[in-house]
Amino acid sequence: MAEGVIQRAGSSRRELDGGVPVVGNLYVKVVPPPDLNKNTEWFLYPGVWTTYLLIIVIGWLLILSVFRCSAGTAWTVVNLTHFAVTYRFFHWKKGSPFAEDQGMYNKLTWWEQVDHGRQLTRNRKFLTVVPVVLYLIASHTTDYRSPVLLLNTIAVFVLLIAKFPHMHKVRIFGINSDYPT
Amino acid sequence: MAVTIPYFAALTTYFSYGLLFVFGHLRDFFRGFMKSESAPEGYAPLCRDFEDFYTRRLYHRIQDCFNRPIASAPNAWIDVIERYSNDNNKTLHRTGNSRHCLNLGSYNYLGFAAQDEYCTPRVVKSLDKFAISTCASRADGGTTSLHEELETLMADFIGKPAALVYGMGFATNSTTLPALMGKGGLIISDSLNHSSIVAGARGSGAKVSVFQHNIPEHLEEVLRQAIADGQPRTHRPWKKIMVIVEGIYSMEGELCRLREIVAVTKKYKAYLYLDEAHSIGAIGKSGKGVCELQGVDPADVDIMMGTFTKSFGSCGGYIAGSKELIQYLKHVSPGHLYATAMSPPAVQQVISALRLIRGEDGTDRGARKLAQVRENSNFFREELRKMGCEVLGDADSPVMPVMLYNPAKIPAFSRECFKRNVAVVTVAFPATPLLLSRARICISAAHTREDLQRGLEVISEVSDMVKLKYMPLEEEVEALLKEKRL
Repeated sequence: MAEGVIQRAGSSRRELDGGVPVVGNLYVKVVPPPDLNKNTEWFLYPGVWTTYLLIIVIGWLLILSVFRCSAGTAWTVVNLTHFAVTYRFFHWKKGSPFAEDQGMYNKLTWWEQVDHGRQLTRNRKFLTVVPVVLYLIASHTTDYRSPVLLLNTIAVFVLLIAKFPHMHKVRIFGINSDYPT
Repeated sequence: MAVTIPYFAALTTYFSYGLLFVFGHLRDFFRGFMKSESAPEGYAPLCRDFEDFYTRRLYHRIQDCFNRPIASAPNAWIDVIERYSNDNNKTLHRTGNSRHCLNLGSYNYLGFAAQDEYCTPRVVKSLDKFAISTCASRADGGTTSLHEELETLMADFIGKPAALVYGMGFATNSTTLPALMGKGGLIISDSLNHSSIVAGARGSGAKVSVFQHNIPEHLEEVLRQAIADGQPRTHRPWKKIMVIVEGIYSMEGELCRLREIVAVTKKYKAYLYLDEAHSIGAIGKSGKGVCELQGVDPADVDIMMGTFTKSFGSCGGYIAGSKELIQYLKHVSPGHLYATAMSPPAVQQVISALRLIRGEDGTDRGARKLAQVRENSNFFREELRKMGCEVLGDADSPVMPVMLYNPAKIPAFSRECFKRNVAVVTVAFPATPLLLSRARICISAAHTREDLQRGLEVISEVSDMVKLKYMPLEEEVEALLKEKRL
């Protein structure tokens, strides 16, 4: 849960009268969240959601400028890359990149570790909405053409099913259930 | 205390870490093709490569900013050995030269880290009498008269009936907590506690809960919930509940809100364990720590722990509590039964430092040192704030972190300061939260006003170069306002 509160100017300065927003002085108060898992606690700080969305939008602009394709193709590429990257890092890779955790989280994917395993928190709801919105944008801008639509639909289905609360710690057919090597 | 971070800095920090992780993963991916199989046939690999991903791909890039070897005692000025690398910081080699730098990184709060006219002759004499090591654990013949003297002195200094001394500060926490708590117990620790407390808590087998840093209201909430729920699954009442807090949090420079926390633990009948590693000897009018500063009766804190590394210029740690507690620990704590006893000259150093602080050597050097460290810290912190840097920490605290945020600013700040002969310690993830990397400055009573001015000049110059002045000055804000209105 983003604990940030957007404030105008810090507490050491006097009140700005009339609420005049001084440009470039947007500050956020950060309170350390009580999450001991270093692998996931960074997600509870302010600014994460905005950075995530900005990376997606900047990625789309990059693809447009490098490949000079149509907007719809670029959105499809963004959607599929987003699917590949988030599936690998949220739902496939298990454990945490710190040896001091001593393998405590070695059976849990990042998605299962976030928010200490509690379901339906604000962070999880946000992360579930993003692939859906990306799918809607990608399918709309490609005019629902058939080969591309199928790929986009598969991507969003896999991601959504992986994020269901009922899928917590479920491994279908035992895929990815072993301790990671 | 909340940290105020400029939103743009937060965004760019996430972006930088994202980029670093992407490059790290790409390199790991290609390394998979190039490297040969490291484990022998049929054996599982010894380490998982994901586990030291952070160390290999992020820490090794800026390795030259950490673990710098030194060539002198860590006084106000220190000789730091220069190193170079031929393979992008994977391996470092000494050049053979050393730089004489201003030391803003050592925990030398009262200036005992170097030769002292009262302490050092006595330490050398004790070396003649007792030799370097007792070559035994405390229980097996390692208890000398010096150890007993220190324990009595320490207990008297803190205001507790008895004390127990260990050879290592980290081991004090990591061996005492498993001796005190076991399965069926609950440990509620502050979210920013030191890794020794985390190690001890994990090793004890008790359930560990965390409350939001320094917020007694959240502690009360967590306590109420825990007492109402009972043990997991069986819901039986807890065998005992212990709340662990620190006196000064070394990464924040912040004091604990001890009065409110004592009120909460008394109300719900939980034990309180206070880790005064950084505050003993440096805080309070006569150096007795955060209890003295905040007017809390030491009898209200059940177990007081501290280390001798910071203010006393020695090594080791202590636990102070009731006579029954110390007697029990002597029978049960592995740190006492099996670990080597504290080295006798180190014990003598603490005894002499303690006598100096209490004024028992006949001079007022102790009181002057305490006043000096307070004055130096407040001066330095005010000047840094006036400069526009974002400095954390309460008034009177000798630890002041200067916020850096972006991962690239960590090596930039460290190397540029080193070039100008100022040695600072920078801290990043995972010792601090991801966003909040910082340079931690520790002020000593041994720093003179000229030293501090030199430090401030260098930090100001480097902060301009690295753009660390996140909090603009009052005058600049007024000028900006005037512009807007015109």
